[in-house]
Amino acid sequence: MINSLLWTPLAFGIVGLFLPKRVVGWWATLGAVVTLAIAIGMAIDFDTGSSGLQDTVDVSWISGLGVDYSLGLDGLNLFLVLLTAVLWTGGIAFAAFREQERPQTFFFLMLVAETATIGAFLAQDLLLFVLFFDFMLIPFYFLFGAWGTDRSGEGGLTAPAATLKMIVYTLIGSLLMLVAAIATAIIAAGDGHITFSIAALQQQGIGVESQRWIFWFFAAAFLVKMPAFLLHGWMPDAYRAAPLPALIVFSGVLAKVGAYGFLRVVLPLFPDATVEFQEVVLVIALASVLYGSVMAFTQTNLRLIAGYSSVAQLGFITLGIFALRADGSDGAVLQMVNHGLVVAPIFVIVALLSERTGTEDIREMGGLATRAPVLAALFLVVAMATLAIPGSANFIGEFYILNGLFRAKVVYACIAISGVALSAYYALRMYQRTMHNRIPAQQKAGYASREIGLRDGLVLAPLVLCILALALYPQLILKRTNPTVQQTVSALKRGDAPNARLAKGDGGPHIVLEAKTAGATVVDLTREGEQ
Amino acid sequence: MLNIEWYIVLSSLLFATGAAGILLRRSPIVILLCLELMLNAGNLALVAFSRMVGNEEGQIFALIVMVVAACEVVVGLGLIVAIFRRKLPLNVDDLRELRG
Amino acid sequence: MSATAWAWLVLLLPLVGSLTIALGFRLLPWRVCGWIGMAAVGLAFACAVAVLVTLLGEDPEHRHHASSLWDYANVAGLDVQLGIYVDPLSTFMMLVVTGVSSMIHVYSYGYMQSDEGFRRFFSYLNFFVFSMLLLVLAGNFVLLIVGWAFVGFASYALVSFWYRRKTATAAGMKAFVINVVGDIGLVLAAFLIVREVGSFDYGTVFEQAPEAFTPGGWTITAVCLLLMVGAFAKSAQIPFHTWLPDAMEGPTPVSSLIHAATMVTAGVYLIARTHVLFELAPTAADIAAFVGLATLLIAGTIAIAQTDMKRVIAYSTMSQIGYMIMGVSIGAYSAGLFHLMTHAFFKALLFMAAGSIISAMANMQNIDKMSGFWKAMRFTSVMLLIGGLALAAFPGTSGFFSKDSILAYAEARGGMYTWMAVGGYLGAFLTALYTFRLVFRVLPGKPCKEAQELIDTGHLFHGPHQNPHTLEPEDTEVGFPGPEHHIAEQSRPMAIGMAVLGFGALFAGIVQIPGVTHMLFSFLEPTFESSPLAAIEPSVGAEWRGLAIGAVIAIAGIFASWVLWVKKPELPALFRERLRPVYLLCLNKWYFDEAIDFLIVRPAQAVGRLANRFFERYVVDGAVTGTEETVRGAGGVIRAVQNGFVRSYALLLIAGFAGLALYFLITSS
Repeated sequence: MINSLLWTPLAFGIVGLFLPKRVVGWWATLGAVVTLAIAIGMAIDFDTGSSGLQDTVDVSWISGLGVDYSLGLDGLNLFLVLLTAVLWTGGIAFAAFREQERPQTFFFLMLVAETATIGAFLAQDLLLFVLFFDFMLIPFYFLFGAWGTDRSGEGGLTAPAATLKMIVYTLIGSLLMLVAAIATAIIAAGDGHITFSIAALQQQGIGVESQRWIFWFFAAAFLVKMPAFLLHGWMPDAYRAAPLPALIVFSGVLAKVGAYGFLRVVLPLFPDATVEFQEVVLVIALASVLYGSVMAFTQTNLRLIAGYSSVAQLGFITLGIFALRADGSDGAVLQMVNHGLVVAPIFVIVALLSERTGTEDIREMGGLATRAPVLAALFLVVAMATLAIPGSANFIGEFYILNGLFRAKVVYACIAISGVALSAYYALRMYQRTMHNRIPAQQKAGYASREIGLRDGLVLAPLVLCILALALYPQLILKRTNPTVQQTVSALKRGDAPNARLAKGDGGPHIVLEAKTAGATVVDLTREGEQ
Repeated sequence: MLNIEWYIVLSSLLFATGAAGILLRRSPIVILLCLELMLNAGNLALVAFSRMVGNEEGQIFALIVMVVAACEVVVGLGLIVAIFRRKLPLNVDDLRELRG
Repeated sequence: MSATAWAWLVLLLPLVGSLTIALGFRLLPWRVCGWIGMAAVGLAFACAVAVLVTLLGEDPEHRHHASSLWDYANVAGLDVQLGIYVDPLSTFMMLVVTGVSSMIHVYSYGYMQSDEGFRRFFSYLNFFVFSMLLLVLAGNFVLLIVGWAFVGFASYALVSFWYRRKTATAAGMKAFVINVVGDIGLVLAAFLIVREVGSFDYGTVFEQAPEAFTPGGWTITAVCLLLMVGAFAKSAQIPFHTWLPDAMEGPTPVSSLIHAATMVTAGVYLIARTHVLFELAPTAADIAAFVGLATLLIAGTIAIAQTDMKRVIAYSTMSQIGYMIMGVSIGAYSAGLFHLMTHAFFKALLFMAAGSIISAMANMQNIDKMSGFWKAMRFTSVMLLIGGLALAAFPGTSGFFSKDSILAYAEARGGMYTWMAVGGYLGAFLTALYTFRLVFRVLPGKPCKEAQELIDTGHLFHGPHQNPHTLEPEDTEVGFPGPEHHIAEQSRPMAIGMAVLGFGALFAGIVQIPGVTHMLFSFLEPTFESSPLAAIEPSVGAEWRGLAIGAVIAIAGIFASWVLWVKKPELPALFRERLRPVYLLCLNKWYFDEAIDFLIVRPAQAVGRLANRFFERYVVDGAVTGTEETVRGAGGVIRAVQNGFVRSYALLLIAGFAGLALYFLITSS
């Protein structure tokens, strides 16, 4: 089952290469739907109460290096895989309704990207994870570079240049991660047999000294992917260049792989470093929240508003994870799904809006709601979910995140929550400037506002329905996520002992101080356990 | 049986010819030919050493080199045909997109 | 059926109505949509009455029930249920909300008849009622926040209902963002509560609060201050009030329902609901009471200087809510809620009458241009007068009894609270003054040209379609109450809605006349039974003394108003001359908008601009470009080598290998 989930998109993609242009879009959509069906089937079979891996596959792959082909599903990745399947179905269907250049290659690359992403979520072997993580980038390199929009006329970059920038950023992170992964396995193995299995590595554990630098190597890769503040330089150019169907899945899912990586790899394998650097990462995440929000409400390009709002949202998710409490991480996982479900429809809507107005600049839009009330209503729901209005699942996500943070570090929570007010402003601004107010005086020739078509409705409405359904019952995700999260976070408690060791071994006032803050967190966690 | 030195001398001459061709000529086709020349110079040396030592390992290497060379020609000629079709100049000095 | 089952039905009906209208907007004729909307709220009112009857049939001790549908979010020690809490307080609120709403729905059916967005309006309106009911019925703090935000959203949607008006969308945005600030206050309060008590559930929190919190301690004070932020943002108390006057951009029924009768009183409900916490934090409660007092006085002074009819009433709403906030903060819970109820009646009525007059004025709202409507529109004028009398607390009207029950309590509590009562009476004078300024401007005198046309021809005056504030030409497609206007004299639904509320505004006081009836207070008693403050009760004599003072002040205010604006119209001009700074202060609403703009909005924008122009270009991109530059500079040689000539690469390669070979030769020998 898990194998078919992983390889179905690729199989459909390869077959699609040999189909005529007319049908390849539908074939690819079928592929995505089949993948989605398999994913839903697995979700139904999922054993809710259990925290361990389910549906595992574990075959020795490169035995000399201890690399296994090892996949598994648990509370952390179940809904992320589902999200991947949902958004790819939407993105591919959206593309299939439109003319594409070289459709065979386009859809092949889309489906390859789906396999790579699902692989990254499912991989339970460190090296396999790294491979899938990097492999995700290749199809998007071609999709962005070859099908992208040239922005050199408006002060931006050409599509290949923007793509190159993205690749350089992410590749540096990825290479650091590759080094770090190999180092982890070697250090953990010591003189014994080398293995890359995450569970085994967690058992073996590695020394605090090594954890420190390896932590940052992994963090670099994940923070670039998100992107976090100061590492987001690739985002504006790449988002403006990207073809929208690819951007729908890219913004919706790929950023989450970074956040997921923290939960899957960093927290279990480097608990001491995690506790030690908690505040540093929190500061970065907090900066992402504030900076992303402020930027989002000064931008006028719709893609960039959505892009910077993602920076802010991913900042929230990181805050939740690095609260190092179960509620924070529960909220983070929920929020990853929620954010994927809102940002993807936003890009669908951006595409629809630019088809109706010939621009992506909100200054040249306005008053569309009269002619397109259904589109406006769908957009309104999405905008409200984006700003995490209480009553949406996004609110519950942020509520859990901020509550976790509030209990762990009050000050950070109080600053971070101002990001919520900012998000209300930029999300509403985006809605108002496009749907409300006057129709701008000069409209581009050949464009007229019109209602959303049935086919695009078929893409957008299910996504909005997903948002509404989760708003009614966020427990659906929380219940399944929580056991695994509890396990991950409670493993951090063991950070107690090595930290004491660290304080004694290295001495120095600075490190003792760090150990103290870490100790405080641990105490807090224990209290949580008692309740 | 000829002495091993003769083989080496011939191989070196062939290699030098190929290298000189690559450095001096501008036509990609000629460059490709010169590359083949260099590879085959290597092959000659491999086979000669193999005979001298008395086992077949060197010859296996030579075979592998031939396979690789064949692949290389396929790709290289394909590129040349593609360049020709786009009516680009068949001159390696003009094809310098990758300048840093 | 049990009380909770009825309550769920109350909650469900408006939601179903809203969704039906929203989903069927292409299929259903507008009349049907209107009927669905009215029926949903009307039935909700009937169910609320059923809840009341069920509760009354029970022992007073056991009149509180909780019910939960499913686990909303329940992991990691945070237990959020989709649950409601039915007790006398929520039942009372339910009745007020559904009762006033159903009348306003009826009124809207007439008022909005020729608006293009009729269906959208009713869908939003029903959604608002659902949200408000969720707010008052919520059984835990998280669901309260949900209801809190939903009413904020409904308010946003309805304020910017005529969305082609830039003023309307800007006002909607302002209302929403300020309300989000309030939401944040509530969220932080919820975090603190769950940290100390371990639950969001009302029952658990209120039961365990006395043990979990140190009375008067920092934590509980912080909780209450944060709750107050939420309450003040929603109830337009200083300094979070600036959105309310702007919100008058919405259609008049919206102002009537949301910004007068129901939503803005949510803060009062919140403080009454969490009175257990506020009693543990007397400092916070006193601050709240002072803010209420300040708001009621400041808003009163602003209302005297304004000329926009709806804004005058909006400031009066702020001021009246100030009374309620003050009341529930000092412990006069039942009295505050009593005023909430009567205020809902008379303020909704005032807005309805204003709407009718504004329709006749072809959407102009400036009271300086109105006069003589007593002759032109008799029914509306009577209703305006009734509303005005009740607002000014004229003896016998509902506002008379409710306002004085708050002030009598303040007096009975003694100490500094006596001074609050004095402040309240001062505010009552201001209220009478500005209310009858409005009445005397609009009703008596020589009919203005719009009124004259109505008298002469029986038709409404039709002016140019323009935005009353900016005088921009109006987009009639959206953004205007339709090509036709409707006034109560010509529209039966409007008249029905106003008549019913007019009846309420006059006679609702009889549920609680000191020494005579005690219906409302005894019904609410079980909710507040544990509170020591609620046990303070002014004696009947003191109450009647208060009523007498109130009556004198109200009549004095009305008389002063008559002198100023009817008898000697030159006097106000004289005041404006002599007391120019004071006048300007009031006219410019005490410069709150400017202060907020200067302190918050502009810095935020400046930061954004700076980030965009400088940071993004030089720091973020610069980090990359800088690295690139360094590499370029250091690797200038390498760059020269990367010239793109295949042959020079080959040379390099060969030279390199030759060099390597040479090296090995030398080292091996």
